[in-house]
Amino acid sequence: MYNLYLKIASRFLLKNKLYSFINIMGLSVGIASFVLIMMYVANERNYDKFNGSENVYRVYMDYLEGNTFSPGDAQSYNLSGPTLKKEFPEIKEYVRFFHLQKTTFINENEVFEGNKGAIVDPSFFSVFDYPLVKGDVKDALAAPNSIVLQENLAEKIFGKESPIGKTLSIFWKGETTVTVTGILKDIPKNTHIKNNFLVSFETLKTWKAIPRQYEPNWSQNNFFTYIKVNKNTDIDALQQKIIKTNFEDDLDERHNIESLESIHLNSNKPYEAEANGSESRVKFLLAIAFIILILSWLNYVNLATTKSLERAKEIGIRKVSGAQRPQLIFQSLLESVLINCIAIVIATIVVVFTLPFFNSYTGEDLIVNSAVVLGLLPYLGFIFLGTVLSGLYPAIILSGYSPVVALKGKVRASSNGLNIRKGLIITQFFATIVLLIGTIVVAKQIKFLENQPIGANLDHVVAFNWEVLSKSKDSVLKRDNKLFESELRKLPYVKNVVSAETYPGGGYDNLSSTVGITFPNGTVDENRIFYTYNVSPGYFNLLDMEFVAGSSFLETAKRSSNKIVINEKMAKHMQIANLAEAVDETVKFWGEDWVISGVIKDYHHFGLKTAIEPILIRHYEDKNNLLVKFDKSVTSVAGFGTVLKKVENIWDNAYAQNVFNYTFLDKEFQSQYNEDKNFGSAFLIFTVLAILIASMGLFGLTSYTVVQRRKEIGVRKVNGANIVNILATLNKDFVKWITLAFIVAVPISWFTMLKWLEGFAYRTAISWWVFAVAGCTALVIALLTVSWQSLKAALANPVDALKDE
Amino acid sequence: MLLELNNIYKWVQSGGQKIFLLKDINLKVEEGEFISIMGPSGSGKSTLLNIIGMLDVFNEGEYNFLDEPVHSLKEKHRSNLYKQYIGFVFQAYHLLDELTVYENLEMPLLYKKYSSSERKALVADMLDKFNIVGKQNLFPSQLSGGQQQLVGIARALISSPKLILADEPTGNLNSKQGEEIMEIFKELNKDGVTIVQVTHSEKNATYGSRTINLLDGRKI
Repeated sequence: MYNLYLKIASRFLLKNKLYSFINIMGLSVGIASFVLIMMYVANERNYDKFNGSENVYRVYMDYLEGNTFSPGDAQSYNLSGPTLKKEFPEIKEYVRFFHLQKTTFINENEVFEGNKGAIVDPSFFSVFDYPLVKGDVKDALAAPNSIVLQENLAEKIFGKESPIGKTLSIFWKGETTVTVTGILKDIPKNTHIKNNFLVSFETLKTWKAIPRQYEPNWSQNNFFTYIKVNKNTDIDALQQKIIKTNFEDDLDERHNIESLESIHLNSNKPYEAEANGSESRVKFLLAIAFIILILSWLNYVNLATTKSLERAKEIGIRKVSGAQRPQLIFQSLLESVLINCIAIVIATIVVVFTLPFFNSYTGEDLIVNSAVVLGLLPYLGFIFLGTVLSGLYPAIILSGYSPVVALKGKVRASSNGLNIRKGLIITQFFATIVLLIGTIVVAKQIKFLENQPIGANLDHVVAFNWEVLSKSKDSVLKRDNKLFESELRKLPYVKNVVSAETYPGGGYDNLSSTVGITFPNGTVDENRIFYTYNVSPGYFNLLDMEFVAGSSFLETAKRSSNKIVINEKMAKHMQIANLAEAVDETVKFWGEDWVISGVIKDYHHFGLKTAIEPILIRHYEDKNNLLVKFDKSVTSVAGFGTVLKKVENIWDNAYAQNVFNYTFLDKEFQSQYNEDKNFGSAFLIFTVLAILIASMGLFGLTSYTVVQRRKEIGVRKVNGANIVNILATLNKDFVKWITLAFIVAVPISWFTMLKWLEGFAYRTAISWWVFAVAGCTALVIALLTVSWQSLKAALANPVDALKDE
Repeated sequence: MLLELNNIYKWVQSGGQKIFLLKDINLKVEEGEFISIMGPSGSGKSTLLNIIGMLDVFNEGEYNFLDEPVHSLKEKHRSNLYKQYIGFVFQAYHLLDELTVYENLEMPLLYKKYSSSERKALVADMLDKFNIVGKQNLFPSQLSGGQQQLVGIARALISSPKLILADEPTGNLNSKQGEEIMEIFKELNKDGVTIVQVTHSEKNATYGSRTINLLDGRKI
């Protein structure tokens, strides 16, 4: 009997190709989107999970701002870990990370650049359960100048041969030599602190480029500290104890802890190891996933119910042949299971094939493996359950037809059934309009961020940064730097060259900070963090930063002085009302006196997601970045590529071995919004899919109402109605429904998007036209869909419709 | 006696008024009879047939089928009675378009408790009996009207009902095809199957042993 059911179902599907296509595509698209989003969400939520990770916590610093403490630094002191372990027996182990970004290795004259790693305590392996492929977790990181490489990096450097015992040159602001003592199995990419190598903590003792970090102190907080607590520790109690204890005799800051697993989605502190994800974004996507899935179910219900009218005859015949209602319901359910199985198969194929695009789009690294599939099974069960349930409604409708009526072909769906379908359509369009408004607001906000003046001109500015892989003394390098600089100035299109530690959009990398500063009026502020960086005098001119008082530093032979430039916000903090008075005043921090030489207009250092911070810019010729301002004709005349090649040649001539990188400042600044842009495009894609699905539902419903009203249309035409009249009659209802959906959608999406915008310090307005555009788009799409069917009905010869009786 | 209708009334409400479809119908059908129901359009022929076939309900009166009181039976019981004893033939054949001839014949058996080998045997019998073995894998749309009706009758007969109800079985056929179908009914009747047919044609009515005339829901 099941065979027969399947046979009927498959032949029905084959016969009604358009119906089957719409139905199966709708479901496939819905399921595929749902699965993709779920994979993404699962990946986001599984950051930093390993055996025992639930007992690992990160130690971070809270700073007092006003009267309350707030998270001020993701990193802590090198004494933090040992002290906490000594004080609290619940803490089993600690490990400190000194983060090494952009590290370069040299093995037998071969250069490997751009590696991320950390200097860690030997206890690393007892906190992080990452297995070694080679070497012993007990002593791999014990001796000074030991290094553990991740498998893929080891293979890149040493090829197939075993690297254990081999030596390697490592460059990070200076050089040292390390010996490979272990090979780490590749760590899954979903961790908030990505390391492909680990250097032993003892190495800090002798590494000259990294001074003052080894000796226990409460002044250098450059360490990520992780603690592992005993199982069943009352973590709230421990946290309270840690918060209340004042270890370093400083009442303006305190230690705090947070769960390792929660860092990726919930932590957004200064000096994070990388830009973390966001819980609210995950929730938004989750909501979208469910909306799309529900849309495709509603679609299915709608289409199946609509089609059931055409199947009334079949039901009549079956009933006359002895079928009972449960059997018919069962058959109908079997059909929806069949359709869903086909849809799931197609969705799986779609997922597998779109995954690479999805990955490149979202910058994720999702893969399909048994663990992922296993994790998705409950959701697949959920999908299946949902579709079976959505198959139940049409099944009940279908099996309820009276055979006498059905066989005469006179089935008219009850007005109740029509109301349900109307409800479904209104719900679909409600969801679609909400998503549309969301898409427009996200796009508008991103546009706003990109076009907002930031207080500096980053156009045609390129930052060159390099690592000089040479053992020569610093002084020699500096002179060569100067040479390089003057060579650069000789190049065509180069307007200006300046060295700087960092620049707007450079983030927290290379940015120093101070808590505790004495203002010119004598007030001591120890309540908040102030950021500071080094530049040479031409910096402000090169970036078109405007002085409101005073001027930049004077060029000195020493290339550094105790002069600083502050921004308006800083001046405000110092309670200087008349900015001109700030010039030549003295500020104290880091135990030194600094003299203000000028005040610049506020500029955005961190992008427009956060408010403008007070900033102190020091005079010191830092060799971190060389900023080069090119003439704007460079793009049209020579092209950036050729010019940059020339710069690299100059550099190559100066040094045989080196690593040479460059960044376009405007692009790097915009890249701060990458996550939001990705979110915006994800929003757009899924909105388009939702519209597609909703239109399919509408298409189904129209074909139904048009069939229902065939006679009415015939009568109207015979009595003189023209095509326009008929179209108006048929489309009037849909306009009404979409208006209703719109009215419900507006307040809900307005509220939701207002919440989303709260995540930005600078936000665009949700203008009235956003709603108008969304509503009109929905209406136009709906009317186009509807008119396809309506027009067919309106053009039909009325005689055909009327002779049926 | 196969079935007995006593004082059957059926009406529908329309605008606060009762419109009678059947009025005071009394009818006895013995096993082996071949009855024709005649009357103009709207006289209630099909309604009467549907009531006999238990597809439709009535508002007043009694209906006994093989001494079971149909009017007071539960739905399930009635359905069993119907499944076991009654077969239907329609003017528009009403074959399932998605199924082949073979599958159309097999379909009613699926709703009754037959094993798959029994089903095979029964379908093979029917195909044989009606000489349509060669057409078993065709779909209804590939058959002529007469052939479709042949399948329709075979389907009605497949679970050996006592009573065949035919609603204008030749209405969509040309005269030659119609004659063939009527001959088949005659043969079946000879074999002991009771037949009640609704017809417009005097000629077809003569195949029956008795004719009942209806006008405006009343027997005349």
